Amino acid sequence: MAVLNKTSRALFCGTLGLMALLRGACGAEAPTEYQVKAVFVYNFSRFVEWPPQAFSAPDEPFVIGILGGDPFGARLDEAVRGEQIDRHPLLVRRFRNLGEIGDCRILYIDRSESAQLQQILAALAHRSTLTVSDLDGSSQRGVMIQFTTENNRIRLRINVESARASGLTISSKLLRSAEIVGTRDGT
Amino acid sequence: MTISSTPIRRTLMRMIFISSGAVLAVTTTAFCAYEFLTFRQSSVQQLQILSQAIASNSTAALAFDNPDDASVVLLAFRADPHIVAAALYDAQGKAFATYPQGLAAARFPARPGVPGYTFGRTELIGFQPVAEGSRRLGTLFVESDLGAMYARIRLYAVIVFLVIGISLPLAYLISRRLQHQLLHPILALADTTRAVSERHDYTVRAVRTGAYEFDLFTDTFNHMLTEIQQSEGKLRAQLGRLGLLQHITRATGERQDLPSIFNVVLASLEENLPIDFSCILLHDPAGPSLTVDVVGAAGRGFADKVGLKVGVNVPIDANGLSRCVAGQLVYEPDVLQVPFPFPQRMAAAGLPSVVIAPLIVENQVFGVLVCARRSTEAFSSGECEFLKQLSEHVALASHQARLYGALQQAYDDLRQSQHAVLQQERLRALGQMASGIAHDINNAISPVSLYTESLLEREPNLSERARGYLTTIQRAIEDVARTVARMREFYREREAQLTLERVDVNRAVRQVVELTRPRWSDLPQQRGAMVDLRTELSDSLPEIMGAEHEIRDALTNLIFNAVDAMPTGGTLVVRTRGVPGGDDGDRVLVEVSDTGVGMDEETRRRCLEPFFTTKGERGTGLGLAMVYGMIQRHSAELDIESAAGSGTTVRLSFPSYTSSSVTTTRVIKLPALGRRLRILLVDDDPMLIKSLQDTLQEDGHVITATHGGQAGIDAFAAAQKLGERHDIVITDLGMPYVDGRKVAASIKMLSPKTPVILLTGWGQRLVAANDIPAHVDKVLSKPPRLNELRAGLSELVP
Repeated sequence: MAVLNKTSRALFCGTLGLMALLRGACGAEAPTEYQVKAVFVYNFSRFVEWPPQAFSAPDEPFVIGILGGDPFGARLDEAVRGEQIDRHPLLVRRFRNLGEIGDCRILYIDRSESAQLQQILAALAHRSTLTVSDLDGSSQRGVMIQFTTENNRIRLRINVESARASGLTISSKLLRSAEIVGTRDGT
Repeated sequence: MTISSTPIRRTLMRMIFISSGAVLAVTTTAFCAYEFLTFRQSSVQQLQILSQAIASNSTAALAFDNPDDASVVLLAFRADPHIVAAALYDAQGKAFATYPQGLAAARFPARPGVPGYTFGRTELIGFQPVAEGSRRLGTLFVESDLGAMYARIRLYAVIVFLVIGISLPLAYLISRRLQHQLLHPILALADTTRAVSERHDYTVRAVRTGAYEFDLFTDTFNHMLTEIQQSEGKLRAQLGRLGLLQHITRATGERQDLPSIFNVVLASLEENLPIDFSCILLHDPAGPSLTVDVVGAAGRGFADKVGLKVGVNVPIDANGLSRCVAGQLVYEPDVLQVPFPFPQRMAAAGLPSVVIAPLIVENQVFGVLVCARRSTEAFSSGECEFLKQLSEHVALASHQARLYGALQQAYDDLRQSQHAVLQQERLRALGQMASGIAHDINNAISPVSLYTESLLEREPNLSERARGYLTTIQRAIEDVARTVARMREFYREREAQLTLERVDVNRAVRQVVELTRPRWSDLPQQRGAMVDLRTELSDSLPEIMGAEHEIRDALTNLIFNAVDAMPTGGTLVVRTRGVPGGDDGDRVLVEVSDTGVGMDEETRRRCLEPFFTTKGERGTGLGLAMVYGMIQRHSAELDIESAAGSGTTVRLSFPSYTSSSVTTTRVIKLPALGRRLRILLVDDDPMLIKSLQDTLQEDGHVITATHGGQAGIDAFAAAQKLGERHDIVITDLGMPYVDGRKVAASIKMLSPKTPVILLTGWGQRLVAANDIPAHVDKVLSKPPRLNELRAGLSELVP
């Protein structure tokens, strides 16, 4: 899996590099997969609407949590540095296991947490937390946004039902550029 | 009326077209400019809105790096066909997606430009930032061509064209309609003014059209026309009156007598002014009244009602006549309001309007002209003024007529005087001729007289019959001498020396009746008329003092006149009677009365004038004049009673004789002078010389008879030289070459003491004239009477 991950990563990097070559613009370095995903995660905060009760105070930090392994490294921190949603400063927290999960608005569930996904999701129910994962089929299992790769591009699968169940509203613009899936029981 | 050709119509149309065209041009230009500007703006706005929408929709595609989605989003530009190109750049400025898909790189900028929208020549270009919240995600490039704008401009051009194409004909139609409203009154007015100016017809009136200002204008114009019409009417009336005045002035100028002038004035006024009643009253300067002189023919009917018939006196009181007589024109527009008698008379006759104009000559009102009409206030001021002027003309004309009359009278008098002078001159010539004839007759009858007297005196053996014959001859000769003397005196202006003697009038009447028998008896009988002459002579008639021959002549004339007055016969009575008088003493009346044609008043008045005759060429006009002269010389009176057709009675009234009145010279028969005188007779008539010589020789005188003046002077001188001086010289006056005056002067020069007796056929005149020539001691008239000669001789040669 890891090899696969490694190969897919290499492939991803390869495609990005190819893309960069193809575009040939500015000579900027082609972003890595998690660089893009970090930006995406940050962007989710722009295209999703949280219920007001999700925040106890107006200046309460908007926490983006990473559960399990951290594929982003510092990239996510870089992406959110200095940024704030409304008056909520963005903050990245990392949780090693389910038990550590504190109050967060976006939670990236790493592949490593695949086994506990059900527990995690159950724990997050009714906590107004946007769940994001790379796990294949995770969206069908109840993760709200799942990253997929299609034609060397990162695509999104969104489970609108589970988002709605958590009281979140996902922007239609985001929905239009994503693939909508429903929750499949037993999988 | 051809409206289209009138300039005002064209002008109005042009004005409307220009103004509406200008309004249209400005409006459409403004509209187009506004639309152009707003269209650019709205184009920008539309593009901006679309771009913003697309940009907004593109945020997720950019945010999540989804070019496909971006391309799909950009497809929304299809909604606007004018958007020809669009491109989405990411945050790094790299092209991310294009519209339409696969757009050539040359069609959009390689890098995004400054946000904003700019117009190119044929396109509108915009750069729209794409941001999510405050985060800039990229830039959207949009290019729209301006075809829409040009299409719109084309549309506007069509609209403008349609608007102008519709509105101008509409404006034409509306203006036609409005012009009709506007022009109709103006053109109607123009027609009216044309009618007025071309035909001078001021009775036309502009018609009201209902538009306020035009009606005001029309009313004002009509009012003006009315005024002009009235003025013209007044002018025409004035001209008419001027013409009438001229007509009347000419008519009066052709006439010379007042009634004719007045009649023509009144007739002209009644016919032409016209008036219903007119008359002229003349002012009696002595009294306060006017007398109706002439009444106009048409107003005769009113004259009876008003009581102004010819000859009627109208007293002047405070009735307007007094003002008029004072020289004012009086106009009573309604005499009913005037409470004086004269106006009330006019009112009662149905003539309430009266104008009384004075007729003034030399500041004296000599009459008034009265004009009246049947309606009240019927005289205009112009007519009053006209009547005033007319009255002045009439006054002047009548004054001239009077002057003419006076001139005519003077001329007639002068002509009559001239006639009289001519007559007298003729008479004087006749008298001079008669005088010559008388001289010759006197010379001729002198021998008859002398021998008859001598015979009666010296022949004792004459039979009674011869003595009677001789006496008759003597009386006839004396009558002849007197007749000749009277004949001579016809031409004399001075009265003849009258020797008064006691006259038995009855005797004179009988003598005259006998002498005139052929005239009153024989001549009428020849014509088959019978004049019955009767004498009624008073037996106890006193004598009068007078010249019997003159009385006889007067009676003769009266009888002739009476006979002439009875061409078909009648009765002629000669009557004498004594009338016992008062202080003047008794009077003797002699009446000659006929039953002839008589005399009318005019003839009776003038019959005593010299040369007045009713007998035409047969009469001299001197008969009654001589009678009158005789009457005056006898201090008598003459009375004529006569009427046309009822005969004439002429009555002579003489004062009767009283012993104290006149001392008469008794004619005494003188015996022949006892002395024997040497007498020189100077005459140019041998018969006279012979008879004088015979009779004076019978008285015992020695006679030297010479023929002619010079011969007489020579004989006297010769006798004086011989010492046989003549005791007395008897010379004729009228002789050829050397007349009696020269003879007398020569005798006196030779012998101043020798008396000279002048014998003259004109002797009586010389005596009467008291102009005995110088050197003449006595004048004796021919035929010489023996008695007178003897008296003269005894007087001059004592």
